[in-house]
Amino acid sequence: MAIVGTFAYEEDFLTAAENLKASGFDNISLLSPVPLHEAQAVLGLGKSPVRRFSLAGAIIGALSGFAMAVATALVFILPTGGRAIITVPPYLIITYEMTILTGVLFTLIGFHVVSDLPAWRNRPYLPSANIDRFVVIVENAVDSEAARAETIIREAGALEIQHMEDSE
Amino acid sequence: MFDHGQPSYAEVNKDVLSVMLETGPRYWMLLGGTMSVAGICFFMPWIYQLFVGVGAAGMNRNAVWGSYLSNFIFWIGLSHSGTLLSAVLHITNSQWRKSIYRSAEAMTLFSLMTAVLFVMVHLGRVWYVHWSFPIPNQMGLWPNFRSPLMFDVMAITTYLIASSIFIYMGSVPDFAAVRDASTGLRRRLYTVFSFGWRGTAREWHTLGWAYTFFAVFVIPLAVSVHSIVSWDFALSVVPGLHHTIFAPYFVCGAIFSGTAGIITVMYCLRKFLNFERYIGQEHLDNLGKLLIVLSMIWSYINILELFGSWYGGTSFELEALKFKLTGFYAPLYWEMILFCAFVPLLLFFKKIRLSWNKMLVISILINIGMLSERFIIVATSQARKFLPDAFGFYFPSWIEISITVGSFAIFATLFLIFIKWVPAISIYEVKETLKPLRRNA
Repeated sequence: MAIVGTFAYEEDFLTAAENLKASGFDNISLLSPVPLHEAQAVLGLGKSPVRRFSLAGAIIGALSGFAMAVATALVFILPTGGRAIITVPPYLIITYEMTILTGVLFTLIGFHVVSDLPAWRNRPYLPSANIDRFVVIVENAVDSEAARAETIIREAGALEIQHMEDSE
Repeated sequence: MFDHGQPSYAEVNKDVLSVMLETGPRYWMLLGGTMSVAGICFFMPWIYQLFVGVGAAGMNRNAVWGSYLSNFIFWIGLSHSGTLLSAVLHITNSQWRKSIYRSAEAMTLFSLMTAVLFVMVHLGRVWYVHWSFPIPNQMGLWPNFRSPLMFDVMAITTYLIASSIFIYMGSVPDFAAVRDASTGLRRRLYTVFSFGWRGTAREWHTLGWAYTFFAVFVIPLAVSVHSIVSWDFALSVVPGLHHTIFAPYFVCGAIFSGTAGIITVMYCLRKFLNFERYIGQEHLDNLGKLLIVLSMIWSYINILELFGSWYGGTSFELEALKFKLTGFYAPLYWEMILFCAFVPLLLFFKKIRLSWNKMLVISILINIGMLSERFIIVATSQARKFLPDAFGFYFPSWIEISITVGSFAIFATLFLIFIKWVPAISIYEVKETLKPLRRNA
C-alpha cells in the first residue's frame, strides 16, 4: 500500500519529506509541479550519473566519427591532386559533429536509464502534482509503518491523505 | 515579466493547454490556407521541375547556384537563434527565456526542415539523396568527407536530431500535463509522449542534468553548423566568396536573422493565441537590445569584408567588389544595408523597443534584408567569376519565386500543427518564474 499526502505549500511538503527521511523511510517519492532543489537535497541526489553517459557518448562519437571518415576514404579511394587519401583536417570536422551527435544520443539514453523512464506500469500518482500541489508518496508501507508515515505527513500539514495501490 | 499580473499555477496550465485542446474554425481556415499555399506554390512547381529537370529554374552555366541555395542559407540562418538562444540563456539561468524558448526552439526545428527541403529541390534528382550518407548503395559509392558539402550533411543532420531531442526533452513534463488534462485517444498518446512522467524529485533532477548537457552540446553545434554552411562558399576559390571572415559572418547573420524571426513569431503567438500575459515587454526589450548588438557586429563584419577585398587588391576580387556595390544586384545590396545596418539603429529608442507593432515591422525588414544578403552572396559571386567569358547573370524563374513563397507557407503550416501538439509555452518553466507556493510568499 502507498500513503499519498497532498500539500498546498512547499515548506510543509519539505518538512514532511525531511521527517519521513529522518524516521527511516527510504521508499519515498516527492512529486512537485516545478523542480525543487530542496526536495532533491532531501533525497540526497547529488551529481547525476547522466554526465557519465554524455562523456562516454562524446568519446565514442569522436572515435567513430574519425574512423568512419577514414574507412570511407579507404573503401572508395579518390585521389585528388596528389593529396593524401586520409586527410586529417577535414576529418576533424566530421569527428566534431559525430562527437556532438553521439553525445546527445547517449545523454538521452542516460536520462531514460537514470530516471527509470519510460514507465508504463501503474504507479501512485495525482494529476494535481502537475498543476499546483506537492505530493509525498510512501510506497510499500506495511500496517505499522503506514500509520507512522500517515502521522508524520498529517503533522506536517497535509491537505489530504490517500491510500493507493503500490507500483505494479 | 508579466504585463497583466501574475497568473496562478493552475491558470498557467489552463491558459497554455486551452490553446491545444480548444480549436475554433479560424484555426482550421488558417491551416487550410497555409497548406494550400504550400501545395500550390511549393510542391506543385517542384513536381513540375522534377518532370522537366532543374533547367526549369533560372540557373545557367555560369550561375550554377541560385535561389534554392540562398533560400537554404536563409532558412538555416533563421533556425539559429531558437535553440542557440535557448541553450545559452538556459546555461546563464535567464528567467526571461522561460516563456519564449519553446516556440523559439520550434522555429529552429521547422526552419531546419524547410532548409532541408531546399537541398532536395536544388539536387534535381532527389531520389539519389541517400548517396550523401555513409550507407551502402547500388553504385558502391562512399561519401567524400573532404568535401564541404559532406560537412553540411553531417552538421545539419546532427543539428536536426539534437534540436528535436532538445525540444522534446524540455516538453516531457508538459506532455504529462496534457495527458492529465485530456481523455480518450489523446490521453493515451500523451501517456506515451510523456514516458509516464510524474514529476518526482528524481525525474526533475535527471531532466535538469540532461537538459544542461543537451544545451552544452547544442551551443558549439549551432556555431559549427553555420560555419560549415559558410565553408560551402568560402572553401571555393571564387572571388567574393573566398574569405576567412565568412564563418563568423554567417554565424552572426544567422543569429541576427533568427532573433528577428523570434520577434515575428512572438508577435503572432501573443496576438493570435492570447499569450499577452506571458510574452511581455521585458521579452521585447531584451530581444531588441540583442538585435542592436547583432546588427552592429554584422555591420562591422560587412565593412571588414569590403575592406579585405579592396586591400587584397587582386583584379578578380576588385571586379567582384565593384560588381557587388554598383552592378546589376547593387540595389539589393543597398536595400540589405538599409534594412540590416540602419533600420536596427532605431532600436536605440526604448519607445520603439517596447512597441509590438514597430518591432514586428523592424523584425520583418531585417529578415527581408537577410534574405537579400543570402541571395547576393550566391548570385553576385557566380555572376563575376575571373574572366569575362565566365561572367553571367542569374535571375530566379517563376518556379523559384513560387517555391520561395511556398517555403514560408510550409513553415507556417508546421508551426500551426506544432501549437496543437506541443504546449507553445513551457508550463513548468513559466511556473518557476512565479511566486513560489509558500505560506509567506
